Amino acid sequence: MARPAPRPPQSPEAFDTLYREHVDLVYRYAHRLCGEDEAAKDLVQETFLNAYRGLRQFRGDAKISTWLYTIASRACLRMRRKRKGAPERELSLEEFVPSSEGEFRLQIPIDGLTPQQALENKELREALEQAINKLPKKYRMALVLRDMEGLSAGEAGGIMGLSERTLKTRLHRARLFVRRELSARGMAHTDRHVHEGWRPKETGS
Amino acid sequence: MTRKKAHEHGEQRCLNILRQLSAYIDDELPEDICAELRRHLGACPNCEVFIASLRDTVKLCRQHEPPPLSAHDRARLRQEILRAWKPEARA
Repeated sequence: MARPAPRPPQSPEAFDTLYREHVDLVYRYAHRLCGEDEAAKDLVQETFLNAYRGLRQFRGDAKISTWLYTIASRACLRMRRKRKGAPERELSLEEFVPSSEGEFRLQIPIDGLTPQQALENKELREALEQAINKLPKKYRMALVLRDMEGLSAGEAGGIMGLSERTLKTRLHRARLFVRRELSARGMAHTDRHVHEGWRPKETGS
Repeated sequence: MTRKKAHEHGEQRCLNILRQLSAYIDDELPEDICAELRRHLGACPNCEVFIASLRDTVKLCRQHEPPPLSAHDRARLRQEILRAWKPEARA
C-alpha cells in the first residue's frame, strides 16, 4: 500500500520549505496557463497564499504537487484579470474537420529537427504560445496539465474535477485547435522561406 | 474543392476518425481499432498527413518551456506572500 505524502507542517519555516521546493513548478504551470509573466506571478502568490491558509486542512492523501496544481487551477479560474484571449466557449469536433485538401495537408515543418530545435525558431515558438493562449481556459488547462506538465489523464482530470473521459475529450479538442491555429497562422506566411521564418509545408501534389 | 473530392470517404467517417486521433497517438486504443485506423491511414494520405501534424503539435507542447522565475522574483514573491499572510495569522 502506498504511503500517503507527509503532511506539510504549518510553521513559517515549513512554509519556506514548501515554497522553495515547489515555487518553480507552480510558476511554470502558472506561466503556461496565463501566457505572461505578471499574471503568472499573481497566480503564484494567490496559490501559495491559499496553500498557506489551507495547510491545516491538507490531509496528506494526495501528492503535494497535485494539491498545489489543484489550488492553482481553482485560483486561475477565479482570477478576474483583464486578459486577452478567447471568451469561454465550447469547441466542437465538427469545426476541426478540414474542409479542403490544402487544410488537410498543411504540416508543421519540424522534419529533421527535434522539437527543442524547432522551438528555437522564435516565430514557431510564438505561434505555439499564441495558439495556446487563444484556447478557452478549460481547454487550455487540460492541454497544459496533460501535454505540458506531463500528468496522466486521471491526475489532470482529478485536478480539474472532471472524469478521465471528459478530460480526454477536452484535451483532444484543445490539440486539434492548436494544430489548426499553427497551420492557419503558417498559411499567412507562405511567401516566406522556412529559414527566414516559419511556414507550413504542404506535402505531395 | 469540395470535401468529398478532397477526401474519399464521407464526413461522418471523417468525424469518427478525427474523434479517435488523440487516443491513437497516445496509444490508448484497443488493438483492433488501432489496426483499422492504421489500415485507413495507409490508404489515405490526407489523414496520414493530418495525424503527423497533430503528433508534431503534441511534441511541441511537450517540449515548450516557459522562462524560469528569476531569483529576484522568487525572493520578492515570498516576501509578498508572507506579508499578505501575517495580518491573517494575527487576526
